[in-house]
Amino acid sequence: MKPSDPIKLVSQLLDLPIVDSEGAYCGVVDDIELAGRAQQPLEVKALMIGPGAYAGRLPRWAMKIVRITAGDRVVRVPLGKIRTIGAAVQLQVPGTVLGLQRSEDRVERWIPRKGAF
Amino acid sequence: MRRWSLLLFVLLTACGQGPQADLQYIKQARSISAEWALVNEQANRGRLTITYVQSMRGWLHDGLETASGSLSQPHSRYGAEIRALLAEPPDAAPAELRRYAEALKQIEAEFESA
Amino acid sequence: MNPLELTLGIMTAVGGFVDISELVFAAKAGSTFGFALVWVFAFSTVGIIVFSEMSGRVAAVAKQPVFSLMRHRLGLKLGLITLIASIISNLITCAAEIGGVALILNYLTGGPYLPMVIAVTVALIASIWVLPFKWVERAYGLLGLFMVVFAVALVANHPQWHQLAGGFVPQVPDGLSTKELLTFGYFAVAIVSAVMFPYEVYFYSSGGIEEGWSPKDILTNRLTSILGMGLGSLLAISILANSAVVFGPANVNPEIPGSAALEAAIPFGKWGLILALLGMFFAVAGAAVETCLANAYSIAQFFGWKWGRHKKPWEAPRFTVTWILLFVAALGIVLTGVDVMTLVEFAVLFSILVLPLTYLPLLLLSGDRAFMGRYINGAITKTLGWFYFCVVTVAAMVALPLYFLTSGGNG
Repeated sequence: MKPSDPIKLVSQLLDLPIVDSEGAYCGVVDDIELAGRAQQPLEVKALMIGPGAYAGRLPRWAMKIVRITAGDRVVRVPLGKIRTIGAAVQLQVPGTVLGLQRSEDRVERWIPRKGAF
Repeated sequence: MRRWSLLLFVLLTACGQGPQADLQYIKQARSISAEWALVNEQANRGRLTITYVQSMRGWLHDGLETASGSLSQPHSRYGAEIRALLAEPPDAAPAELRRYAEALKQIEAEFESA
Repeated sequence: MNPLELTLGIMTAVGGFVDISELVFAAKAGSTFGFALVWVFAFSTVGIIVFSEMSGRVAAVAKQPVFSLMRHRLGLKLGLITLIASIISNLITCAAEIGGVALILNYLTGGPYLPMVIAVTVALIASIWVLPFKWVERAYGLLGLFMVVFAVALVANHPQWHQLAGGFVPQVPDGLSTKELLTFGYFAVAIVSAVMFPYEVYFYSSGGIEEGWSPKDILTNRLTSILGMGLGSLLAISILANSAVVFGPANVNPEIPGSAALEAAIPFGKWGLILALLGMFFAVAGAAVETCLANAYSIAQFFGWKWGRHKKPWEAPRFTVTWILLFVAALGIVLTGVDVMTLVEFAVLFSILVLPLTYLPLLLLSGDRAFMGRYINGAITKTLGWFYFCVVTVAAMVALPLYFLTSGGNG
């Protein structure tokens, strides 16, 4: 499915894994930014990725725990950067270009590059 | 008077429940005794490694101590039986260990039919 | 389909089927009820075959593992509840497996238990660090084939074969008291849980992605599920049947994992004992690896991190840190001194409670034409899937009451 096609937000987009142009996982569709007005069709403008995007979806006490453990960062992925939507959302660009995978890069510095086949 | 009757009732009920609550530990002790006998029997026939035998005896003994320590009525007939079993040496004769298992099995049967 | 790859895959599944819970419950079930619970093993095996095949098919066709799509199906809130429940269940199971491996090492070497626990954890971490996924799976799975000694021991222990065959017929023994009936029910539920552990499905589906499965591997998936798990189940049934022959008449209800090894020692002596212990060692160690990785897969897939041991550890950093920390957490649980058998009981109980949450999204996903196209569930799979979903839901509802009423199966 192309990003411009009509889509069911919950059953076909929300909480799908996101894979970038290099085939790397770089998050999950945690929330969706919509544009539109009353009595007009809604348009998907961007996908919101990161623990900060849980804010509208979890109870306040749970969100407090999320903020303490994982922070509240949100990355905005505009619709134009999406290639296709199916079992996963496929991006047109590497995740790093959009600011995704930063935590991955931070943690990577702690992993020794030895001894593994 | 009513309060004392109630207390007596509770105490009697508790006494009645004690041996029943201990039934699982009697079963455990019976099983361990029988298994200990099996291990010693196979060890005497040279069918087990020394390491395995020593290890199994240790773990079985630990299980028996746990069962003994969990009894609500340690000074009962079955409590004495289990303590006597604990006092047996690690290489006790299988027949002697099976005698304990049989005795505990009989006590088990008495509680289960009660 | 490469026949060698397929054979190795099946053999790996056979050797990897038995874990500490199945070992313990098979031995106890046999000594307590003779052959009367054989059918429950066979029945549960069909269930795990159905769901494993489904999860492998989802991985091969949707190219996404079960937990990724589970969040999509359940949503964030229910998905988080499922994730947390399965983390707890898998963590306790992993701790039970690590404790079990250390116990078996103690039987083999006489080394003290707690240092063995630490050594085992370090060795397991090292094995996953060094070896790529395929070789982790194969090493533990193929070495677990030492467990075949239990099947051979069964022949040597001369069971009543017609009675054993009768055990495959669904039954409840006659003449049981109410308490014995409840205990039978508890064992049945425990066996269903032990055979259908959630981690098996998560690991199998993620393993399919690790191995790069695609729709052309559908047949491989089917054969591996059916033959691998079917034959593996025969090993578990051998342990049960041996227990019925060896322990039942001797009034033994095996209380510790090492008891099972006697089943092979009695007919074959020291060599039978050593082979049995080696088989148990590798099977349970393999299960420890699977439970830990299954947890790490679940967490990484839920949050959309890079994951997989087909990558080098530094290429999936958060996944790597996660599985190492999970091993450390499991080690921590064992080091509290809690008895391995208690951990096994809790692992089985928690898992059965989580099973309905695990299998429902999988059923829905594998029946969704939008994801699966022409590889959607067929009529037989759909029927069996929903039937077993009902079974695990009922089992989940009665598990806790049965546990308390029977003092954990001790009567």
